[in-house]
Amino acid sequence: MLKFNKKLMLSASTAAALAVLTAGCMGGSPSTSDTTTEVNGKATIDGGSTYPVVNNKTSDYYVNPQVAKDAPKIYNGRVPTANELAAWDKDIMPDGTGLPEGSGTADEGSDIYDAKCVSCHGDFGSGGGGYPALSKGNAYDLQKTLTNNRWKDPDADGPVRVFGSYWPQASTLFWYIKDGMPHPFSKSLTDDEVYSLVAYILSINEMKIDGVEVDDDYVLNRDKFLKIKMPNRDGFIPKIDGPHGLDNVRAFYANPTNFGAQNLKKGAVRCMTNCQKESARTIYIKNGGIKDFLPPMSDVRDLPAEKKVAVNAAAIYADTCKMCHGNGVGPALGSKSDWAPYVAEGMDTLYKKGIHGTDAGMPAKGGASLSDADFKTVVDYLINGK
Amino acid sequence: MDNKKSNQEIDRRDFFKKAAASVTAIAGTSLISSNARADDPAIMNNVPWGQKWGDPVTKNRYGMPSKYEHNVLRRNTKLLASGNFRASIAVTPIQESMGIITPNGLFFSRSHGGVAHVDPSMYRLMIHGLVEKPIVLTLEQLKRYPSVTRTHFIECPANGGQEWRGPQFNSVQFAKGFMSCAEWTGVYLKTILADLGLDPKAQWMLAEGSDNSEMGRSIPIDKVLDDAMIVWGQNGEALRPEQGYPVRILLPGWEGNLCVKWLKRLEFSAEPWYAKEETSKYTALTPSGKAIQHFYANEVNSTVTSPSPEIDWTSLKDGDIVEIQGLAWSGMGTITGVDISFDGGRNYVEAKLKGLVLPKSWTRWSYMHTYKKGEKLILASRAMDDAGYIQPTIDQEVGLVGVECVYHRNAVETWEVTKSGKINHVEIRTMKEVKDA
Repeated sequence: MLKFNKKLMLSASTAAALAVLTAGCMGGSPSTSDTTTEVNGKATIDGGSTYPVVNNKTSDYYVNPQVAKDAPKIYNGRVPTANELAAWDKDIMPDGTGLPEGSGTADEGSDIYDAKCVSCHGDFGSGGGGYPALSKGNAYDLQKTLTNNRWKDPDADGPVRVFGSYWPQASTLFWYIKDGMPHPFSKSLTDDEVYSLVAYILSINEMKIDGVEVDDDYVLNRDKFLKIKMPNRDGFIPKIDGPHGLDNVRAFYANPTNFGAQNLKKGAVRCMTNCQKESARTIYIKNGGIKDFLPPMSDVRDLPAEKKVAVNAAAIYADTCKMCHGNGVGPALGSKSDWAPYVAEGMDTLYKKGIHGTDAGMPAKGGASLSDADFKTVVDYLINGK
Repeated sequence: MDNKKSNQEIDRRDFFKKAAASVTAIAGTSLISSNARADDPAIMNNVPWGQKWGDPVTKNRYGMPSKYEHNVLRRNTKLLASGNFRASIAVTPIQESMGIITPNGLFFSRSHGGVAHVDPSMYRLMIHGLVEKPIVLTLEQLKRYPSVTRTHFIECPANGGQEWRGPQFNSVQFAKGFMSCAEWTGVYLKTILADLGLDPKAQWMLAEGSDNSEMGRSIPIDKVLDDAMIVWGQNGEALRPEQGYPVRILLPGWEGNLCVKWLKRLEFSAEPWYAKEETSKYTALTPSGKAIQHFYANEVNSTVTSPSPEIDWTSLKDGDIVEIQGLAWSGMGTITGVDISFDGGRNYVEAKLKGLVLPKSWTRWSYMHTYKKGEKLILASRAMDDAGYIQPTIDQEVGLVGVECVYHRNAVETWEVTKSGKINHVEIRTMKEVKDA
């Protein structure tokens, strides 16, 4: 209740928030005596409060009035130098922005590939070891597989989504090799080496530039690179380039059928009965499914069997015994004269007193969690000092 | 000691007498007969931790969970283990999660070149491109901006993406655990941009990480100026390295992949970039052969977390009252309701939203159920958000986008409750091409 009132007071601090409030978004005041409350017309429990999104804006929760009112403009940093900008602005765009000069052949690329790439990406980019394949054959033919859908038979030929058949832009490949490859030591290739590797990857995808097949001796340079037209260049929706790119994006996501979503038209009632197709049935996991979970799935709370390790008497002394035995409260570490009266009673008695504790102030086992045997080792250490 | 024990016994007898009286008054039967059952050793005996010193406060300068919680872990599978677990994912045990906050150590971890360890004294954030005043910020300078703290989930859009063609994981951790939710602290990007003079031609922003893969994504300006945040705090402490320490960008509700970690650079441009992950991956191929690119918001979604294949009902007795619990979330708005079905999504009743209901956040929901021993159920949950979206059936979703999308699957999820109370992941669908939605 208190929390709710505080929220109301906060909200009242801005006119915008008031508008949200009067729109009824906060709902009625939750009753403390009832576990069920109505917020925004919906049943909630456990003090539920709703912070709605209205017109794509997340209501008063979204505004930091302190920023908007008192500090509209802050500049806390400094302007980067031209060299700093050049050092970090290394991205490469489809129009060639950022693409460096340089050249290399597929043959040279093949040598670099065999030295630095094959261990992960496999022979001729065939993939392996969980790393992506770079080619599955002729890019133009494989682009046609993209309409394949494995509706029924999971072993049917699916769509081939590798660089040659799927990627819309070659600039992505150059940029990623330059920035992210080889994976364990990235940013270590020269521009010429990257041109060579790109030429090699084009060749194993059997691709052409301006009608010319990229073979072993093909010399790829910046001019030729910019002429690469990827087979699946037009395979993506919405169209994001150009001055209308963002308008296309907005229009695309305004239509739920474009992306497989269901939107309830204003005032429409959602389905509460008979909401599945007649033909729908229960599909079970086949062949046991995927179970190689690491670590194996378990909700067991029992402790795993502890490995027996030799007790570190010095460490236990420092952690536990020292606060008394090192401060004159109990017999001191390695002091023959301190320990003599206790040793005189016999070691069995001495151990027993230690294990169970004494009225004189020795806590049972000194408060340590030790087996009797380990405790005796620590006692021996205390008496002998080593 | 003996004295204390006998006091306890008297108290207990007294309590039993009263309890028995009230129960008898209501039900006419005595539930509690002190001689009918053996006494519980967990009550009767002294326990080791009750008699010995516990740990000194000097132990565990950074606290750890109880050693008994050793199976509450992020897990991975070889199917999703590219690059010797360096371009891979470890998923959150959402079956064990409580409330709407994921502890930092269990927050799902996805990287494209391994988890980077950034030296905060060397941290720089550069913002440039189509702005009048580019800027370089140190971490200390960044943290001087007025901060906000917001609770948002982050979800990998491949959450559930292995099951477009049928169920594969008999596990809620793997079927739905590619996501987590935290309270993030940082600054709205628009607050920093207020003084940088953004060029009206700027339509896109590149966010780039400093890790070895330089993970980058193009972000539309609409989101940048709406609720994009530059965050350095996660549940009251610095971001974990797995979440991009010291700084990541957070785009509430949008693909986790867009929330670039170890953030080093933001560049504004009139054209998008075609970065590796936004073209080769994170695109959804539809039956027409065209792939949806720049797929942003994670659609409204929900799952039952208890029961689940991990938390079954085999120990329930006939008539036990049990709370069916789950999570609902939407990257487009605030959850407005969750319905629950006991027959695989054929018929629904309303569940209750529980606790805080925040925008683009996990929302917990609840339904009290009286268990009938031997009953067979197919549990399903279906969430709605205030953007007007509702979870589709599997047939509705694949009818529109096919089964090769990999990403953004948000159809209703179902658990079969067997006669013995075991829980199996199943799907309710038509196993042939569905053309109409």
